Parts: sequence; structure tokens; C-alpha cells
Amino acid sequence: MTRYALRRVGLSIIVVSGVMVLTFLISHVIPADPAVNWAGPHASASQIARARVILGLNRPVWSQILHYFSGILSGNWGISIRTHRSVLSDLMQAVPASLELVGAAIAIAVVVGIPLGLVSARYAVKFPDHFVRLFAVIGVSMPAFWLALILQLVFSRDLHWFPTAGEYNPVLAYAHPIPHITGIPLIDGLLRWDWPLVTSSLQHLVLPACVVASYPVGVVTRMVRAKVLEVSEETHSQMIRSLGFSERALLGRFSLRLAWSPVVQVLALVFAYSLANTFLVEAVFDWPGLGNYAAQSIETLDVPAIAGVTLFVAMVYVILNLLVDLAQALFDPRVLIS
Amino acid sequence: MLSAGVITVGALVLIAVFAPLLAPFPGDASVATHPFSVLQAPTWLHPFGTDEVGRDILSRVMYGARISPLIAVAVLLIATVVGVPLGLVAGYFGGVLDDVIMRVTDIFLAVPALLLALALSSVLTPTIGSTIAAISVTWWPWYARLVRGEAASIRGRRYIESCRALGIPRWRILWRHVLPNATTPVLVQMSLDFGTVILTASALSFLGLGVQDPSPDWGLMVSEGQAYFLTNWWLVTFPGLAILITALAFNILGDGLRDRLDPRHRMFQ
Amino acid sequence: MLGLVAAATPGASAASGHSTFTYDTYTQVMTSWDPSTDYSNEIIAMQEMYETLTRYDSQTKQVTPLLATSWSSSDGGKTWTFQLRHGVTFHTGRPLTAAAAAASINRTIKLNQGAAYIWGAVSSVTAPSTYTLVIHCKYASPIDLISSSDYGAYIFDTQAAPAAGLAKWFAAGHDAGTGPYTVESNTPNAEVALTLKAFTKYWGGWSGNHFTQVAFRVTPEASTAAQLVDQGQVSFVEQLTPQLWKAQVGQSSVQTTSNPSWQNLITFFNTSSGPMANENFRKAVSTAIDYKGIVAALQGGVVRTPGIIPAGLVGYDASAPEYGLSMTKAKSYLKASGYSGKKESLTLTYTQGDADEQLAAQLIQSELAPLGLTVKVEALQWATQWAKAQAKSPSARQDIFLMYWWPDYADPFSWFTNLYLGEATPYFNLSYYNNKTVNAQIGRVEATLAVSKSAGAALYDTIQNEIYQDAPTTTLWTVKYQRVLTAGIKGYQDNPAYPNVVFVYNLKP
Repeated sequence: MTRYALRRVGLSIIVVSGVMVLTFLISHVIPADPAVNWAGPHASASQIARARVILGLNRPVWSQILHYFSGILSGNWGISIRTHRSVLSDLMQAVPASLELVGAAIAIAVVVGIPLGLVSARYAVKFPDHFVRLFAVIGVSMPAFWLALILQLVFSRDLHWFPTAGEYNPVLAYAHPIPHITGIPLIDGLLRWDWPLVTSSLQHLVLPACVVASYPVGVVTRMVRAKVLEVSEETHSQMIRSLGFSERALLGRFSLRLAWSPVVQVLALVFAYSLANTFLVEAVFDWPGLGNYAAQSIETLDVPAIAGVTLFVAMVYVILNLLVDLAQALFDPRVLIS
Repeated sequence: MLSAGVITVGALVLIAVFAPLLAPFPGDASVATHPFSVLQAPTWLHPFGTDEVGRDILSRVMYGARISPLIAVAVLLIATVVGVPLGLVAGYFGGVLDDVIMRVTDIFLAVPALLLALALSSVLTPTIGSTIAAISVTWWPWYARLVRGEAASIRGRRYIESCRALGIPRWRILWRHVLPNATTPVLVQMSLDFGTVILTASALSFLGLGVQDPSPDWGLMVSEGQAYFLTNWWLVTFPGLAILITALAFNILGDGLRDRLDPRHRMFQ
Repeated sequence: MLGLVAAATPGASAASGHSTFTYDTYTQVMTSWDPSTDYSNEIIAMQEMYETLTRYDSQTKQVTPLLATSWSSSDGGKTWTFQLRHGVTFHTGRPLTAAAAAASINRTIKLNQGAAYIWGAVSSVTAPSTYTLVIHCKYASPIDLISSSDYGAYIFDTQAAPAAGLAKWFAAGHDAGTGPYTVESNTPNAEVALTLKAFTKYWGGWSGNHFTQVAFRVTPEASTAAQLVDQGQVSFVEQLTPQLWKAQVGQSSVQTTSNPSWQNLITFFNTSSGPMANENFRKAVSTAIDYKGIVAALQGGVVRTPGIIPAGLVGYDASAPEYGLSMTKAKSYLKASGYSGKKESLTLTYTQGDADEQLAAQLIQSELAPLGLTVKVEALQWATQWAKAQAKSPSARQDIFLMYWWPDYADPFSWFTNLYLGEATPYFNLSYYNNKTVNAQIGRVEATLAVSKSAGAALYDTIQNEIYQDAPTTTLWTVKYQRVLTAGIKGYQDNPAYPNVVFVYNLKP
């Protein structure tokens, strides 16, 4: 087990280093002059020259790469051209909001997707199955930015059921200070029994979370259906049937547990995918997370920030996969053999 | 469901090919503008309304049907041309070559495709070419991986050993025996990927990183209509619907093809 | 069950005497904190924290006292003496004195960035007594007007930090002004990017009904901003699309205002290289643009202005000569220019994120197509767009450059000295225009105006005519400031001399 764990960790380190090389390439293959961006509008020539030095653009490439790597490892991820602050601190500020959004989306995906997948498997080939399968395939075919706009138009503007944008109503902050423990308003509100904050957070969370959840719901539904059907065809399931258990029991008590493992794996994959998907959704809902930060960085060609976000999400993804693999090895020793 | 997918895809192809004949205002899909009839609601004259410079949205949506599938075809072609040979070589020869190629694909796969494509596109000049390039770079690792798995499993088979024993050159073995077995999964994967590539490409143009105005790319149209959509809903709705329907049709088609061709994924017809 | 209806209280909170004014803007608020060098969107916050010696009242068209209570000029307009207000305290605690005021103006002049050029006529700034400030100029100059400028004229405490570290001190998010509000919290990436709280020792006092807090919220999407003000979550929206604004007119929860501004959109043609270097070619392009169409496409958000100077400023001439749409004239100019007829591609750059500029670019591209000209439109970040225009090699620059311009103080000089005066290295003269006659006229015009208004206006007319003949630029429109506020707020005046600034202290919640 330890050997496997060490191998996997070593692999992850290699992968992350490779991603760092990628982000270095991206952040130093720049068409527009980054020094001008840094110095800002109305800058003089001497200010631009100084910016060039600050950004290290006057050094040879190998020196830049070394500088870049040592910087990342020591916590210096560069300075954002747009906000003039450390990229890492910008990212840290934006992460809780994205966690809240993606977490809620995955929760919706699990709560909605698993029952739907089960229903679909239970009534395989009949009408409910077709309906659910159509729903699932629409989920994975949905352009997230379009769904965001439509939901905002219908549910916020026309029906006034939900607010338009933001994480919570900023007016609340004027009445009394917002607790800041995790940085996630919903959780902070729950921890401090701040019900207005909790209510406001939930209201603001509904629409964006539904949009981000559209793809995971589709994936989870299809996966649960496929795995459950696969398992229910196997010999041990036939034995369970012959013992007199109902289909319902078979699907519920016996098959689901076996279907669990790949679903968890897929969720980890989907988590990372959704994190990237938030780029499109957060801008529409003004959600102050990584996606919004990335979208604004892209708009302003803030390359250090773009590279920083890419690296960060990749690292999250690698760590998640590592954890899932290690957990799987813990529960299913067959994995260790391959 | 397969038949529904085929019909829709067929309709899309027809619209794309015959757009100049079907579109009521073909000039609006390129540089023509009509500043005195901007932002008109859908009417019989303009069934999808007009956009912020007075162009007929129906015509632009029709011409847009040429862009997304074109990008998807180009991307998948490049992905297979690059990924398949690499995967074959990695899977068949194994050893250090395999390790190196697999690590490289690991690195690319560690970053979610959309994110890597976004980051790349942001540093390139936005054109249809840069979109294709950026997405291709993120897509080839899947195919390399896929083919590598097939090649590795085939390599161990008896008849391959006999081929080697007979002195048949390796490239011939790869070409005539290994590759054909890898074809089916690759084709299945391509048909499944079509819809996803279209979504990714439209996401890139939504963020302004793809084709530019006046190209009638659907993602670009949604992006341009965003500022107006609360007061003029038609600018965003129709192009977005087009993206949804196109991706949906290709995904259903892909699902259907996979059910037919890949016995391991039988979906209980 | 949790109530899911989006109930929203207006910008005021329940706590007694505490009310917040939320300003909704569409782009980053503080791109700079330095009162000597700032030159961008931060004006909306800087004008709350800092004050100038005088302020321009666009209603009365007069310069009014602010930090200076009275002033006089002598020596033919070359010496200006200001009497400063007593009992004014900087946010740092130190009192306002003439020495402090002189120090801040001198620092601005020394740093020579941003709008420092407005003090170009100044030879020295002295403080002969505690509350007397004297400004000497090399030539006659309207210093009373100049010191009301929206940029580069703030009076601040230069002793807030040691001189070498003052710039850093500002950049860290501090303010050293005299204004009614001072910085409370600064979170640039959050939705509410900046909050200011009332400065208790403000010289104007806090009796009566005032807002005690100013918050700045950034919402890049106009549609979101419209909904926020509807629901009362913000007090003021800086900019909406004309369509969204029209939809707000008549709603009971909001009030709308529409006022002409001094901000116009100018199209610069590259007179230094490429096809635009030819005068007839420029005239061909100028007469191919459908000006009326462009204004119509913006559905009420802009107005057409002849010439360069917008209405409301001295020198504005409603009958100034202008180019109008005429395809026949355009084609004949094109022929006269010797245009060979081969496919000519022109590069047009505009500032990314500005929907109106995007519209203009699309329409221009479409309108030049019948002449056989292909226009390549590039949406660039301002910094990039500007850098490209300042490229050392003229052929690397764009052919057409779109840029907004507005004056720093209520005078048309800003247009001419920045945009039309010949430059050795391009700064804002992005048509690279260099006409010796015009240069000389621009050199004389401020002095002429300081002596006689009518002579100055006449000279401005002459300059505009001269420029019209050469056609290095064409003006597309003048912006109409269309604002939306929550209904209860009283006292809002849109002052074009301070674009996008809301003097929150003067409002009643």
C-alpha cells in the first residue's frame, strides 16, 4: 500500500511540474507587451521600462523559468496585472466562493442524479427511462453560459423569484458585520446562527448552482444508470433475484453500494470540470469566485492571473484524483495489483 | 433515439450547406448592417428579430451552422492525427517511450480541457484557427490514451507474437493489425466528442477568444447579445438554442453509435 | 420554509442616522490611489475623498469657491492669489494651510504624470502667509478654472508619509484629502470594491440629512445593474445601455436623468502612414460614414455634434462645418486620392468592453465595405490599444483609432493641446497630426481666451475650420449621460465638468 501511495504521489508531483511548465509557456508567450499592461494607461516610457524590470522580462528564458518555479514553490505566484496584488492572495480570496458554488452544484447533482439514475435503471427501456435519459443528455449538451442567461431572465427578471447577482445581499453588511470564518457566507452564517445571511446566501445560490449542476446531473444520472444495470446483470444479482428479493431491493440495497465507487471517481472528475465551467456562469451572476476572476483576467489579458488560475485548478484536480485513487486503494485492494 | 439524432444532424448539415439559399438576408451574415432597424422583435419579416446593428438573426443562425461543425471536424481530425500514432507507439512498444508519452498526456489531462483551451486562446490572436489549435492541444491526449490502451492489450495477443516470429516488420504490424482494432473505439469516441467540442468552441467564442465579428458564430452572438438580453431577449435565445440543439443532436447520435458499435457499452435496447 | 422571494431593503439600513449610498459602476474603481497622478475611473471615488481649490458649476457656468474662499488675478492674468478656507482638516489630522496646498500642487507638477499638464503655464507656487496661496504663470492662464479640474488639482497632505514613500503610501489604499468621506474598507476584487465613511471633522459639517457611507459596487453587466437599482440594492447606476435606461423611465422605484455631457467619441485617422496618410482618402472615409445611422443605432444614448467642441463649452459652434454621409462624394474623393482599387485592409482599434464603441466599429466596418475597403476590427484593452498607437514604427500602428475624450476643466483647450498639437512622440495625438499653423494657433489660444472671451471663441472657430480642411479625425457623437437612481434621493445634479461623479455629500437620502 505504501509503495502504491508513494508511486501515486511521485506521479502527481511530476504532473504538477509539467503543468507548471505549461503555465510558464503560456504566461511568457504573450503577444501584447505585458509591461505596458502592468504600468497601466497613461504611463510614461520610463514607467514601462521599470515595469519590464519588475516583471523580469529582461532576463534570459532559462533564468525566467527557474525564477518562476522557485516563485511558485515559495508562494509567489506573480502579481496580477489588473489588480496589482499577489495572484495567490487574489486566488485565495476567490476560492471560497467557487467552493460554495461547485459544492452546491455537486450536492444537487448527487441528490437529483442518483435517484434519477435509479429510476431510469429500474424502468429500463420503458417511458420513464427514455424521459430521464433525454433529460440527462440535455444536461450534458447544455451551453452553461446560455442557461445562466435564460434562468436569470426568467426566474430573476420576469418572475422575481430569485435575486440577480452576487453571493448575498451586500446591504446586510451595513446592518451588522458579516462573520468571516471560512469565507463562505452560507457556512459562516450557519456557524454564527446569522439567519438573514443564511437566507440571503441560499437565495443567491439557487440559480447559479442549478446552472453549474446541469452537466454533473447529466453525468451522474447516466453513470448510475449504466453501472446499476451492469451490476444487476451479473451473476450475484441473479442469485439475489432467485432468493426472492424484489427488483427494488436489488437495486437499492445491493447494487448501489457496488455502483458507488465509479460514481465517486466520476464526481471528482466532474468537480474539476465544473470548476472550469464556472468561468462562464460566474460572470453572468457576478459571483466573486475563481471563474469571475479568470473571466476578468482573460478580458484584460492579465496573463499572470490566467496562468495562476490554470495552475491552481490543475493542482486541485491532481490532488483530488490522488485522494480518490488512494481511497479506492484503501477500500479495494485489487487496485494495487495493476 | 438514434434516428432522432440522425435526422437532426442531417437537417443541420443541410442548413449549413444551403444557407445562402435558405437565409432571407444572406448579406447580414457578413458585413451588411442596418442601423435604422436595430433591435427589432421577432416578426414575419425577421422571425428571429434583428440584432444590435440591425442584422437578421435567422440568417446569421443559419450561416452559423457552418462554423461550429467545421471547428469540431478540424479539432477531432487533428486530435486523431496527433494522438493515434502517439498512442499506438506508446502502447505497442511500451517501456520508456510509453512512460514518457503517458506522463505527457497526464500533464495535459490534469488541466480541465476548457481551462487549458481558455488559457491558450487568451494568448493567441483570436481567429477560427486559434480556436481550433487551442482545443486540439487539449483534446489529443484522450485519443493517445485510448489508442495506447487498445494497442497495449492487442500487443499481448498470440497472433501478434506469431507475426513477429514470422519476421513481419513492426510498422506493418502496427498498420495492418493493431490500428484496425483501435479504430472502433476511436470512432466511437469521436462521435461522442463532437458535441463536447462544439460546446467548448462556443464557450471560447462567448468569452471573445474565438472567431470575431462579423462572423455569425453562435457563441459570439450570445456574447454580443448579453448586454441587451434583458430588454431584447431574442439576441441571446436563438443562437443559444442552436448550440443546445446541435450539441444535443450530436450527443444523441454519438450515444446511438456507441450502443451499436461498442459491445461493452450496450445500453439495454 | 425559507422565504425565497427576493425582498430587498433600499440602500438605507435600519440603524438610526446611518445611510449608505451605493454607486454601481461597470469597471474597476481604483486603478490608482495617487491624487497627483490618477487619471481614470477612480475619479468617482477620489472626488469624495479629495477636494480642489475651486469647483465648476455647470448650471451657472461659474467657478465657485471650495477650498479657496476667494481669489483674484493680477499682472494680466499671470499671477493668481487665493485665500484659503480656515478650519479645514486633512484626513490625516493636520490642518489645511497654504504651504500644504502649495506642496501638493508642486508635487503634482514635479511628478508630471496624469493630468499634470494642466499646470503647464505655472512657473511657481508660493505661500506667503498661512492662508494665502500665490500662483505665478509664464503666460496668462485661467488658473481659477484650472484649479477646478477633475484630475490633477486635488489638495492633499504631502506629509502623510515621508516624501520618498508617499506614492507607496497612497498605493496601499490610503487617502490624505479634505473631502467629506474617507476610506473605510478596500477590497478590490469583491463585489463591493470600496467603502468610504463620513469624515467627522469635515469643514462642511454634518448637520442635516446626509449619507454617512458611500459604497462602490462593480457589476460589469448592465443588465445586472438595472435589476439591482430596481430592487433598491444600489442607489445609482453609472451607465446602462440606452434600451435598459428607457425601460427604467417611468418606474416608480427609480428616477432617471438624461443630460448632455462633454464626452465625445473621436475617430482618429493615421495621417503618418498607410492609406490614411492621403488627405483625399481620409475625406472619402469621412463621407462614407453614416453618422445619422450610428446615432440612430444607439437609440437615444448619444447626440450628433458638429466639429470638435461639445455644446456647453466656449467655442462650441452649432454651425461648424462637418462631413456628412454622401456615397457619391466618398467615391469621388477615393478616386482623387489615387486609390488603385486593390483590396485595402484598414485596422480599426477600440477599447474592449465598451459596447457603444463596438457598435460604432461594426457600423464603420460595414459602411466602408461598399468602397471596397476591408476594415479589420480589433477590440483591445485600453493599455494595449494605446501601446499599439504609440508604436515606434508608424506602419505598426492602427489606421483608425476610436477614443473618448473629455476635458479636465471646463474649457475646450484640453482637446486641442492633447489631440491636435503636433507631438514628437505620440501621446494622445493619435492621428499623428502636425500642422504648423494649427500648432501656433493652439499655442496662442489660452492666452487669448484669458484676455477676451469672444476673441478666444473666434480663434477656436478658426482652429476647428483648419482641422476640418485636413480631416485627420471625425467626431462620431457626444455622449448623453443617462443615469438611474433610487427614487427617494434628492438633490442630484449631473455635472459634465466632473464626469460620472456624484457629489454624495450634497444629496439627501
